[in-house]
Amino acid sequence: MQLTSKRFLNLNKYLLGIAIVLYVNALFDAYFVQAGIVCCAAVAACNVLRQHRMMTLLAYLPIAALLFGLTLIINVRFLQPGLIFVFGAALFNLLHKEYFMARPRRAALVWLIPCVATCLTMNQPLQDAQVNYPQVFFLVTLLLSIVPLVVLLTATPVEAPPKRPRLTIVKIRIVVQTCIFMLWAWVTAVAFIKGSQVQLLFWGLFNVFTVALFPFLIGRVLCGWLCPNATMQDALFKNLTYQRPIHRIPKAIEAQTHTSAMYISGTVDQNAPYMPATLLMAWFPMFFLETIYDLTGKIWYPVAFMYGLMLLSLLLPWRKLCAQFCWLSSYRGLAGHNSLWRLRFNKSKCRQCKQCRAEEVCPYYIDIRNQDNEMPVTCCLCFSCMEACPFDDVITLRRAPEEKQRLKTM
Amino acid sequence: MEQNYKTPLAAWARALEIFIPAYMFGKSWGVADARTVDLFRAQFPPFFIDMAELLKEVLSTDIESLRLFVATTAGAVVGFLVLMLLALVNHLVMADRTYINSLRFTAVTLIPIAVLNGTLSHGVKTLVEKMGTLDAVALYKSAVITPWSYFGLNVVFYTTGLWFFGRRVGISRGRRKYVVLTGICFMLLYLACGLMITPAEWKVLLPKLQQSLSH
Repeated sequence: MQLTSKRFLNLNKYLLGIAIVLYVNALFDAYFVQAGIVCCAAVAACNVLRQHRMMTLLAYLPIAALLFGLTLIINVRFLQPGLIFVFGAALFNLLHKEYFMARPRRAALVWLIPCVATCLTMNQPLQDAQVNYPQVFFLVTLLLSIVPLVVLLTATPVEAPPKRPRLTIVKIRIVVQTCIFMLWAWVTAVAFIKGSQVQLLFWGLFNVFTVALFPFLIGRVLCGWLCPNATMQDALFKNLTYQRPIHRIPKAIEAQTHTSAMYISGTVDQNAPYMPATLLMAWFPMFFLETIYDLTGKIWYPVAFMYGLMLLSLLLPWRKLCAQFCWLSSYRGLAGHNSLWRLRFNKSKCRQCKQCRAEEVCPYYIDIRNQDNEMPVTCCLCFSCMEACPFDDVITLRRAPEEKQRLKTM
Repeated sequence: MEQNYKTPLAAWARALEIFIPAYMFGKSWGVADARTVDLFRAQFPPFFIDMAELLKEVLSTDIESLRLFVATTAGAVVGFLVLMLLALVNHLVMADRTYINSLRFTAVTLIPIAVLNGTLSHGVKTLVEKMGTLDAVALYKSAVITPWSYFGLNVVFYTTGLWFFGRRVGISRGRRKYVVLTGICFMLLYLACGLMITPAEWKVLLPKLQQSLSH
């Protein structure tokens, strides 16, 4: 990608601006620091929306004022800087898909923001917070900001697959993902600050419906569209192309998801396992430890859980966490085997040009070009493959007439 | 096409497919403590709670995490027994596979109910721990006035799961209808045994609950 001065790519200036805003605001109190970070994130988003150009001050001011007002209404000031940063960075990465591609060191610079913000607000008391260990939490935040910084600074860039213009359906997906993520973040923040158990309601409803009903009807759509953990991985790390510290997973683990659960068990081989062992083992931390140590009752647990996932996502290849270790994801793959609708792959139309680099764009590493006529049960309907394919008629919502004919003759 | 596949870690997966849903299904029955045991007896089939309480007495301890470990394990043992019985019925109805495969199928179909059980027990436990007078009213409303919605959710989720998992594991359509019928009977029996609180139970339960909360 050509970087020109017109585009919003002068990160060093941007960072300098943020640092000044943070420093000035820190002279007052944490409230302004939080608001400053929100505004900075907003500027980043606005710049992306406005064709990657820096906004004028007059255009920026009303938006900053609006966000500042919003912070007053929803008590954003109580959110700690790490979370705020994750929202901002996530939004930035989602919207600006090419910015950090193959440039991990530039991405590393951005992680300076939470480091600086945390350092500046370390001694600021969270006056209304119900937690009695804010400083410990800030230290953890600092640590979790430094780890990505170090990992990205030492990372080796990897060439990224070419990006095509974004499809409307993908834009819609991103909006849905962002909304659910924000809802989760708000619920978590309220739970953390106010000491309430409101996040249990969110996860209770989420689990009940995304385990017990929806997977049978719409398969793994939830993994692509609704899951906050998946959104965070998409947002923060999808477009960071670098060689991950743990870039290879043992073959025995990798092979499970390709051979056992979602494909051959049941009708083909009754003795084959329904779900991969590693995914089943991942249920233990979820249910066993949570119950034994009553973790869901601890207000720090959801935040710590998300931070843990964030670090793992940084170390493992993108979405490997979902593909190989998420218990909900595996269950949805099993339950969604006879789901009502799948994305169509018109095999007769595929030129086998390999320009799409299909396995790399798919969150579940599906070998798309080798499918027969539709995507397998592991598909999460994120439409990334459709976006990556240079032709419009290969991956479609409905089966092409030629493909119908081909299937009839088989 | 090859009929038998050598999948990595398959033996582990098959074992976990049975034990994890059984654990999830039963653990809720064991997590009651002195303050909530009466509530749990009203909420779930009481003999499951009593069985779990009996097993818990085998190893009593003051260490909280160990106590919870024993409690959930006791619940899980009861869950496993229920699962084995239900799998036996399903095995006879399906009549086309080994018992161990019927057990795996039955275990997987219980996951939606296990999630509902877990949500209910955990939600109620948390509510009780934080409870004041107002929350007692909220608990009353959610547990007594709206049991039918929970009842409906259980039946819909379980039968949907049975039908789709049945298709997934290759049960013929004719047999699948009987499997679903068996599932509905089990669910009705399970719910009739005491899932959710009746107003009559609440009248007895409330003074006990208030007494335990006042300590």
